[in-house]
Amino acid sequence: MLSRKAVITIVALIIISPLFGVILADAVGYHEPLDVAAEKLGLKDVTDKLNWTPFLDYSVPGLPATIGYIISGFIGVAAVLGLGYLIKAVLGRKS
Amino acid sequence: MHIPDGFLDLPVIVVTYAVAVTWLAYSFYKVGKGVGKDKLSMVPVLAAGIFVAQMLNWPIPGGTSLHFVGGALAGVLLGPYLGSIVIFIVLLVQCLIFHDGGITALGANVLNMGIVDVLVGYATYVLALKLLGPERRARLIGAFVGGWLGITLAGIVCGLEIGYSSACPFGIAISVPVMGAWHAALGVIEGFITAFVIDYLRVRADIIPQADLLSGVVRNAKP
Repeated sequence: MLSRKAVITIVALIIISPLFGVILADAVGYHEPLDVAAEKLGLKDVTDKLNWTPFLDYSVPGLPATIGYIISGFIGVAAVLGLGYLIKAVLGRKS
Repeated sequence: MHIPDGFLDLPVIVVTYAVAVTWLAYSFYKVGKGVGKDKLSMVPVLAAGIFVAQMLNWPIPGGTSLHFVGGALAGVLLGPYLGSIVIFIVLLVQCLIFHDGGITALGANVLNMGIVDVLVGYATYVLALKLLGPERRARLIGAFVGGWLGITLAGIVCGLEIGYSSACPFGIAISVPVMGAWHAALGVIEGFITAFVIDYLRVRADIIPQADLLSGVVRNAKP
């Protein structure tokens, strides 16, 4: 199981994450090196056309970006933990 | 570094998926056979920590930004097989739930961050301990260089993938230098964070010595 310290750290990071993932990213104009290379090569991101999830880019429909980012963090952590424990259980049993 | 849908063409998609699936299948097989099994309990929490760390985008003056990737950290802490599995968990959730990284690019993203970054970080850390001994200095150097080199080479491989997918005949001549140079520069921060976390965790005798045992290099590391 998760230690208390790990839980506190993860929750704290999720709560402050919009500061980096939304507020500062908007302020500086989020632009990864990959975007720079793709632009020079003329590659087109078709994520919007192919999208299947309501949580695109860590947002939640109907909620402000900052709150959506926090909720997305909890959803993502829950999914990662679920998958992680499933794999741990499967690999731990098999030998 | 998450490649979205639309950047890769079919041959690159097929090749990167083949490499990723083969390596992951081999990793599951090796762990199933007992390699690194004592560290299985760390998989969920490390994956959750890396997932959250990747949500923190650090703005860089000049209009770019970066986030911690964590492949080298996972490799150092859990070894190459479990390290790749941890990053795969993170990438799969990011792709399926948040469409962060395309489904057509999942193989490439696993190859870059879950294989290249993990293996380079792990190998560099092991090499540093072999060359410099089990002291704290070697751990810091190994983790820093592993973090930096892992992300730099992952960036270069990413540049190859999108360069080969480009209709532009000079695709690689553009994409590799851009991706390599940017990630070599930004990778310094990845190296610092990797070294900081490894140094912080070294007091956790139940974690780091096990990583050392996995590497087969150090068996009596000093805290």
